[in-house]
Parts: sequence; structure tokens; C-alpha cells
Amino acid sequence: MKKQSIGWTALIYGGLALWLVLASLPIVWTAIISLRQYVDAFSIPIKWVAPITFENYTSLWIDKQFYKNFLNTVIVTVGTVTISLTVGCLAGYALSRYRGSFGFWLLIIALVFRSLPHSTLLPSFYVMFDAIGIRNEYFTLILVLVAINQPFTIWMLRSFFVNIPNELDEAALVDGCSRFQAFRKVIIPVMWPGVITTGLFSFLLAYNDFLLSSSLVNADKMTMPAAIANAISAESEAFLMQGVAGAVSITIPLVILVIIFQKQIVSGLTQGAVKG
Amino acid sequence: MKTNTFARFVAPSVLLMLSLMAAPLMVTFYLSVRNCVPDMEIVKVQQSGPFGTTESMTQQVKLDSSGKPITLCRFVGLDYYRSVLGLGSAQSVSANGNEPPDSSSNAAANHRSTEFTGALNFTLLYTLVTTPFVLLLGFLVALGVHHSAQRFRGTLITASLMPFIITPVVAALSIKWLFRDNGLVPYFLSQFDISVFWMAEAWSARFLIILYGIWHSAPFAFIVLYAGLQSVPQDSLEAATIDGANRWQKLRYVTLPHLMPLIIFITLIHLMDAYRVFEPVIVLTQGAFTTSVQYLTYYILVTETNPYKASAAAVLTTAGIFVLLIPLLVKTWKEQRRGG
Repeated sequence: MKKQSIGWTALIYGGLALWLVLASLPIVWTAIISLRQYVDAFSIPIKWVAPITFENYTSLWIDKQFYKNFLNTVIVTVGTVTISLTVGCLAGYALSRYRGSFGFWLLIIALVFRSLPHSTLLPSFYVMFDAIGIRNEYFTLILVLVAINQPFTIWMLRSFFVNIPNELDEAALVDGCSRFQAFRKVIIPVMWPGVITTGLFSFLLAYNDFLLSSSLVNADKMTMPAAIANAISAESEAFLMQGVAGAVSITIPLVILVIIFQKQIVSGLTQGAVKG
Repeated sequence: MKTNTFARFVAPSVLLMLSLMAAPLMVTFYLSVRNCVPDMEIVKVQQSGPFGTTESMTQQVKLDSSGKPITLCRFVGLDYYRSVLGLGSAQSVSANGNEPPDSSSNAAANHRSTEFTGALNFTLLYTLVTTPFVLLLGFLVALGVHHSAQRFRGTLITASLMPFIITPVVAALSIKWLFRDNGLVPYFLSQFDISVFWMAEAWSARFLIILYGIWHSAPFAFIVLYAGLQSVPQDSLEAATIDGANRWQKLRYVTLPHLMPLIIFITLIHLMDAYRVFEPVIVLTQGAFTTSVQYLTYYILVTETNPYKASAAAVLTTAGIFVLLIPLLVKTWKEQRRGG
């Protein structure tokens, strides 16, 4: 950009500052009040400065055993990301190399599934899983999350695989590799950036899920977002403040994630867009 | 790649989607025309007390040999669809006792009779209102960041991503706490003598849900449009400058046409996401004033514990998605045919 008039510069930075405040206010204010007692957190007039206390966090993590929900989140997200990527890489690679019309239709059906509201599957999940007796299992929740992740995962991985030149795996095939060997030994090593980006989004989907995580498993197996559902209707002061502390506890790993992986997230969001 | 190899590579993924998405969808269709109730029997209960033995009749669930309750299932046709759509009372369903009796107040009955249409109305309102604001806000922020100094951009992008990345249920909760009585926003408004109980009225609760939607989705539009702005052809812009175009004309005739495919892409993704709005509805209103189609299915399933009626709502929801996607599907189908 060349010389800009002062008026324009002021308008741009003023607008951006306003956006920054609006974008971060709910999160920042929640973080501030999580360090206060109820009377200081919600008071008229508003208190800008109040004594700091970690009471909400200790009562949540120790008394309410939120660490169990944290461990559940670890189990569910690690399981989901691992299986999603393994299954998705195979399919994404094949979709990027296959020229037949099956591939096209698979992608279209995946697109329809991607737009399906998840609650439409819940009634049959209830009935089916109860009939087989696999409701309230980590593995069931993980597989369901993997499945609803698949449409998105194969679309994204395919768009990364398409960028890897065909010559690479064809050379490996000529040298006597099988398709699978070419995929594992030649393609995957150069695919790491794409795999990491897709893994991030699989992680976010599993980590942020509320609907399935709160309905398919019982309280002792719930992930963190499902566990703070109590706070939704909490009228008691202690419950409410625990919910506030829980909300911040859930958000901190995400903030760290965005700071570390900002580039990958941006590239993942724009990947589909650039391809049209 | 041969079809055979292709099939083996995609098999795990397809199998997962078939068994946990396609099959459940079929089961949903099947469930939506059926109803099951536990088989009840009337048994004589003998109670021996100090004053002799008394006999009473009581209802009890029949159990099979393994001790599981026996359920009676039957075909009820479109009864649950009628009840979800509020078209007359579903006679045979109510007779089975699975439907809560209509003894509740008139208002509640009214609410129930318009369940699906009401949910659909709000979902469409939400979609239609948020889409232009998401695009506009995203575009403005993208323009701002594009014209800001390089050293600020990293921070700006990180901070802007947060509303989009953060767990939706947490995001909705933090907005709720902001607008709660004695919260930050009511305090500010009270300085101007404005007093609104945000979560206690239909219009304000809806307003908050829409506000959440814009706040949550605008960052996505921003990131995509920002990437698009990087690739606007500089020579076209310079040519326009030489031809005497002002800022607005360059934006209108060079930048916007270049971004058009991206705007369509964002609109499409946002339509799909808006159609399944759920977390802000459950958090901000708990369904008291307004429901969305996805919330309705959840509510019937979890609160009314009626998977059959919930299935009917789910089928209607799925039908809505197809209506929403038809233009897109037809377009790709035509392109595919043309491309061979």
C-alpha cells in the first residue's frame, strides 16, 4: 500500500480496534470474572477491579473432579483424531488419484452428509446402541465422531493430496512398490503439513462437540464441554461460578492451539475456498 | 488408479459412513412410522398385613424370560409427522399413552401444535439474517487487516479466529453471562436508562442468538476473504487507478468481482452451518421462546424421551437439508454430465 491519508488510517485502525474488542470481549470478560467471587463477578455497579481468587477453579477441578472430564476429553479427542486421520488419509489419497465417476459421487454424498444436522441421527443411535448394548462406551462415541467427521476429513485431505504430483507415486510404482507401499513410504512423508492441518480440524470437531458427547455417554464419561451443561440452567451461585471456571478451562487449550497453529488453521480454512 | 484398488482404499471410510450415517438415517425413517410402548399387564398384588390379607390390582410392565421388559411395537403411519407438524391430534398415538396427555395449559398445547413450523421459521430467520451480516462484517475486517501494517496482522488474525474456534457451547455461555442480569452489557445500557431482561423475552432471546451467530461465523468469512484479497490482481487495480477510478470504484468493479466465488463459497458453508444451529438455542433460551430444527429433535428425544416422534422431526429436518441443497446438487450434476 502506498501513502494513505490520515483519515483512512484512523478509520482502519479504529475499526479494527472496535472489532478486536467485540471479538474478544465475551471471552476476556469470562476469564476476568472466573477469578472472582460471585458477588464481585455479577454486581451493580460493575467492579473493574476485584480481589482475585482461585476458589472457582479449585472447587471445579478438585471438588467436582473436573480432571475426570479432562481425561475423558483426552481419550475421546486422541481416539477420534487417530482413527479419523488413518481412515481419512486412505480415502483422501484414493479420491485424489482415481478418475472414475464413483469418486465424484462419493464426494457429493459426503457433502450431503456434511450438511446433515447431527441430531437427526440421534434417535436411531439411541435405539440401535441400546439394542446392541454399546451405548455409554468411549469407543462408540469415538466411532460416531469419526464417522460424522469423515465427510469433512476426506474432502480436506483430498484437496491436499491433489497438490502432490502424480509422478511421485508413479515413480514408486515403476520401482516395484505396491499402491499401499507407495502411499505409505512416498506420499505420507511429504503430506505431513496437510495431515497436521486436517488433524487440527478433526481435533476441534471432537473437542468442541456438545450434542453427541452429552447424549451418547453418561456423566462419568462426558467430555469437558458436555460436563458444563449444568451451568446452562444454573441458578445457584456456586454452580454458576464453577461453570464460568469450566468455560475458561475449556478455552485455554484452544487459545494455545490457535497461537501455535495459526498458519495451519488459516490454510485449512482457505483450502476448500481456493479450490472452489 | 484401478477401481479395485480405489475400492480397497476407501473401504474403511465408506464403511464407517454407511454404518454410522447412512444406516442410522434409514433407521430414522423406519422409526418415524412406528411406535413402541412397554407391554403392561394388570396383576393382583396380595399384601399380608396385621389385619389379614388385602388384594389390590396394579399395573406392571410385563417381563420376558430373561427379565427384559416386553415392548409392543406397531405401525402408526404418519401419525407422528402430523403431531410434529401440528396437523390435528394423533389419535392412535395418544391412545398408546406415549404422548403426554393434553391436560396442560392452552398455551403449552399451542406451542406444541406449531413445534416444527415454529422451529423451521426461526431457523430460516436465523439463516437469512446472519448470512449478510457475516459476509459484510467478515469483508470489512478482511479489508481492514489487508490495509493494516504487516506487524499487526499476526495478532489480528489470532484474535479474530477465537470466536470461530472456541467451543460453541462455551461461546454461547460467555455471551449469556455478558447479558445476564447484573452482567456487563445490562450495566452499560442502564447508564442510558435502558433496561432489558435479555433472556426473559422472545425478541431479545432471538436477538442474542442471531448476535451469537454473526459473532461466531464472521471470522470464517474474514479468513477466506482475507486470503482472497491477497490474490486480487495488482495490475488490474493499477490499471483502474490510471483510468481514474476512485477507491469505491476499484472495490466495486475490480475487488468484488474477483472475490465473488469466495462469497458464494462462504454463503454455502454458512447456510449449512446455520441450518443446524443448536448450542446458542439450548444455552440462551433453553427452548423457552424459540427453537431450531436441530434443537427440536434433541428436545423431543431427551425431554419427551420419545425416539419415534423425534425420528419424525429428524426426517423432516433431513428433508429440509435436501431442499436447501437441491440447487447445488443440480448444478454439480449438470456440470458432471457436461464434463462426462
